[in-house]
Amino acid sequence: MSTTSVGGHEHAGTYEIRLRGHLEPRWNAWFVDMTLTTDDDGTTVVAGPVADQAALQGLLRKIHDMGIELMSLTRLDPEQAAPQHSEAHHPPKG
Amino acid sequence: MTGVHVRAKGSEVDADAKPHRWFPMTAQVLETKLRRPQQRQRAVVRSRLTARLDAGAHLPLTVVSAPAGFGKSTLLTEWLADREAQGKASAWLSLDERDNNAVSFWRYFASAMASTGQGIGAEALSLLDAGAGQIDAAIVSLINDLDVLADDVILVLDDYHLIDNADVHAGIEFFISNAPAQVHLVLATRSDPALPLAQLRGRGQLTEVRAAELRFTDDEASQYLNQSMNLALKAPDVTALEQRTEGWIAALQLAALSMQGREDSSAFIAGFAGDDRYIVDYLAEEVLQRQTTQVRAFLLETSILDRLSGPLCDALTGQGDGRSMLIDLERRNLFLVPLDDRRQWYRYHHLFADVLRAHLMDETPEIIANLHRAASTWLDDAGDPIAAIRHALAAGDFTHAAELLERAAPAMQRDRQEALMRDWIASLPADIVRVRPVLSNVYAGALLSTGQFDQAEAPLADAEGFLEAAHSAGAPASGDAAMVVSDALELERLPAYVAVHRAGLSLVNADVTGAVAHARRALALSADSDHLVRAASAALIGLASWSTGDLVEAQRAYALCLVDMRKAESFADFLGCSIGLADIQITLGSLGEAARTYTTALQLAREQQASPVRGTADMLVGLSEVHAEAGELEPARDSLTQALALGDANGLPQFPYRRRVALARIRESEGDLEGALLLLQQALPVHTTDFSPDVRPIPAMIARLNLRLGRLPEAESWVREQGITVDDDLTYLQEYAHITLARCLLATHGTDRSDDQSAPALAFLDRLLAAAEAGGRLASVIEILVLQSVALDARGARTEARSSLQRAMVLAEPGSYVRTFTTEGALLAPLLASVKASDPGAAFARRVASAVSAPTVGTAAHQGLIDPLSERELEVLRLLSTDLAGPAIARQLFISLNTLRTHTRSIFIKLDVNSRRAAVTRARELSLIA
Repeated sequence: MSTTSVGGHEHAGTYEIRLRGHLEPRWNAWFVDMTLTTDDDGTTVVAGPVADQAALQGLLRKIHDMGIELMSLTRLDPEQAAPQHSEAHHPPKG
Repeated sequence: MTGVHVRAKGSEVDADAKPHRWFPMTAQVLETKLRRPQQRQRAVVRSRLTARLDAGAHLPLTVVSAPAGFGKSTLLTEWLADREAQGKASAWLSLDERDNNAVSFWRYFASAMASTGQGIGAEALSLLDAGAGQIDAAIVSLINDLDVLADDVILVLDDYHLIDNADVHAGIEFFISNAPAQVHLVLATRSDPALPLAQLRGRGQLTEVRAAELRFTDDEASQYLNQSMNLALKAPDVTALEQRTEGWIAALQLAALSMQGREDSSAFIAGFAGDDRYIVDYLAEEVLQRQTTQVRAFLLETSILDRLSGPLCDALTGQGDGRSMLIDLERRNLFLVPLDDRRQWYRYHHLFADVLRAHLMDETPEIIANLHRAASTWLDDAGDPIAAIRHALAAGDFTHAAELLERAAPAMQRDRQEALMRDWIASLPADIVRVRPVLSNVYAGALLSTGQFDQAEAPLADAEGFLEAAHSAGAPASGDAAMVVSDALELERLPAYVAVHRAGLSLVNADVTGAVAHARRALALSADSDHLVRAASAALIGLASWSTGDLVEAQRAYALCLVDMRKAESFADFLGCSIGLADIQITLGSLGEAARTYTTALQLAREQQASPVRGTADMLVGLSEVHAEAGELEPARDSLTQALALGDANGLPQFPYRRRVALARIRESEGDLEGALLLLQQALPVHTTDFSPDVRPIPAMIARLNLRLGRLPEAESWVREQGITVDDDLTYLQEYAHITLARCLLATHGTDRSDDQSAPALAFLDRLLAAAEAGGRLASVIEILVLQSVALDARGARTEARSSLQRAMVLAEPGSYVRTFTTEGALLAPLLASVKASDPGAAFARRVASAVSAPTVGTAAHQGLIDPLSERELEVLRLLSTDLAGPAIARQLFISLNTLRTHTRSIFIKLDVNSRRAAVTRARELSLIA
């Protein structure tokens, strides 16, 4: 792998993932450390901290494996995207 | 960095690694993964999709890409069953997470391909035994094998999304662009694979079946709901369902289950269609609500299992109805997939399992750890330690997981699961591992054998710490946590094992002295009966000594190693080490001893029940090499033919390259330099020394051939690439390259007789000679003297030249190193002619002179034929007398089937016969073959 860093690869962030359909609150336990909110437009927002890009990919894969349609993905804390300022976060247990 | 590579490999001569190289690798292939899933009954006929697959079946790649539950596997299963009914060949491979390792992936890939034709994949599997370094070579070998297939073949890789290893993707990409036209790959995947799909699409080399096509149409939904599931729904209801589920088959299945036995289907569908909920939530809830409390509890509690059996479920539920429950669930289509024909093992459809687990985590999170614990205990008792460890880790039961890991370690090492073991131990809290010296040592070994040398130091030091404490105090030092050991016997063996790992680590760190010292300590610490540790220690001493050029010590160590390997009945390792010993003996000037080493090994191999022992073919290649060195071409050819007849499957990892080098040696001796060069180039990609130092690198051999062919620029560019000069320090590992450099310099100034030009080369030869003499490397001494003689003669110093040559001959005569002289060919002829009958070495000179001028076997006049057979035709004839089939012969000669046919036709005409059998009989009558 190249030594030039692709910004933010190793850094934690908070993400908001919007999914089509209403997910039952029971999935809260499944998406560790994330909160689930249903909106009136028939979508569900899964939001919370993600340890790094690999964890984010794993999360998206989980959603994909459930056959749920992904509507949008937003990073909520852009100011942390600058690599040199971010702190180490512990990955969510699971 | 050959040296580093060699040392890195050296650590794999890992004491506790039980003999694995003679263990047929195919035994580790789970046959169930290569079996196409059973066809479901009452399936919907999807001819629009099978027609599409048929249309794409002439292209290299088909990708079936859609999320879970779109019927990908079902579609492919039905399609292949149809094709099979028409007599068309196919293979199937169900991938899982463990195949994310490139070696494992290609091993399964080759095994799947092997089921499509005779002899396919044998060489690839053999190469893969050498580890990740040989993957490219294995893929090339596989492609070559497939080239001879007469008919089309389809290979389905199911669940390809589980692969996220870039090396695997790169290999697949290479395979697709190079595979012969009759081979078609089908990837079934939940997400698009990391392959250049756009490019393939643009070139028209790709067929795609995606979610949009896989969705059930209105008609298919109707067929499924009303015929397969007997629901008798009205057309508008079917349409509503189809629209709400968007033809997602998994959802339609759930919907069908929810409606079975329901009177108010229309109302249900209306309620469902007007709801925003995640479809699986809605429907699974419906399905679960319709189960009894008992069934519901069963589903939730067993959802943590990757595989389910009746007794295992009982262990989790505390009930006794597991088996009947599973049979009932399967009968009711409750997303249970049978994994065998005897209905013993099942798994849940993963989408349903996800829902069940979400329910479990939400409703009774407190019981989950206990469920995993129960599963772990049951699986451990049932003899599946790997699954038991997985559940112990999931339960957070790290102490128990450590205990299980320590006990499972020997078996996991035998199955080469070091990487998994390493990851698992790494996931345990450090203080649990640290108090377990046996496990720490296992961890160090796993790190060493997976190339993570830096991290091996800490656990190894932990294990050593306990041993030292026990040694000095008679018990673990106070203040330290108490030592934990599962098996007292393992603790007894530990000091020697730790020392072997320490030796391996020292070798990796280029501390040869330390490596030898630790290996000696391991020998001293080991029980006489611990043959594997003793053999590994001796092998490490041998390896270290060999790498530093102390060949006398290396020879002694390897001989010791062989004794213990024989006692450990580690026969393939015995044969592997014999190659090392013989190579050392050849360099030391004991060609006869080398021949004995190989014949002894051959004898041992042939005495074994499981004959032929893997590696037998390698001994025959070795004998061929010894004969060729002695200038005995006919026996050299015979041995090699026998080796080739045994085939790659019988060879050790180094066989594919050694057999090519051996044939190149024979070709060169026959004067076919171009043929030899081609063989060496083919040997290059399959080169692996397994765990020996690379003392004669193929690129250097190629440079020598280029010199002989008068292609100076090629040889000079090799010198530049190597960055070697006459001022280098001389080491044994570089000796072959350095002598090649000297040859290159002499060739450059061959016609220039001035002292200035050739002086540096001659001085370099003097230094090389002194080094070789100091190391006792007689074969090198002879070669350098011959070179010196040729160089001196070129300068007109005939007397000095003759004196060098005579010295060389006196040294060469006892061991019969004829080839060293004959390869110089015409250059030596005038010098040889000037040797007087009374001179020392005169008899040998005559032998060399006659070998130089002697016609190769069976040419022209000797054949008793009007139109004599060419050397190549004789070779084809020899192979025709074996049991090998045409494609196999073509492959061994590195020619196409067409070329082979041309040769065969020509042989038939010259021998005046019209069949293979008649040709062989006639050839025997004429003594053209043995």
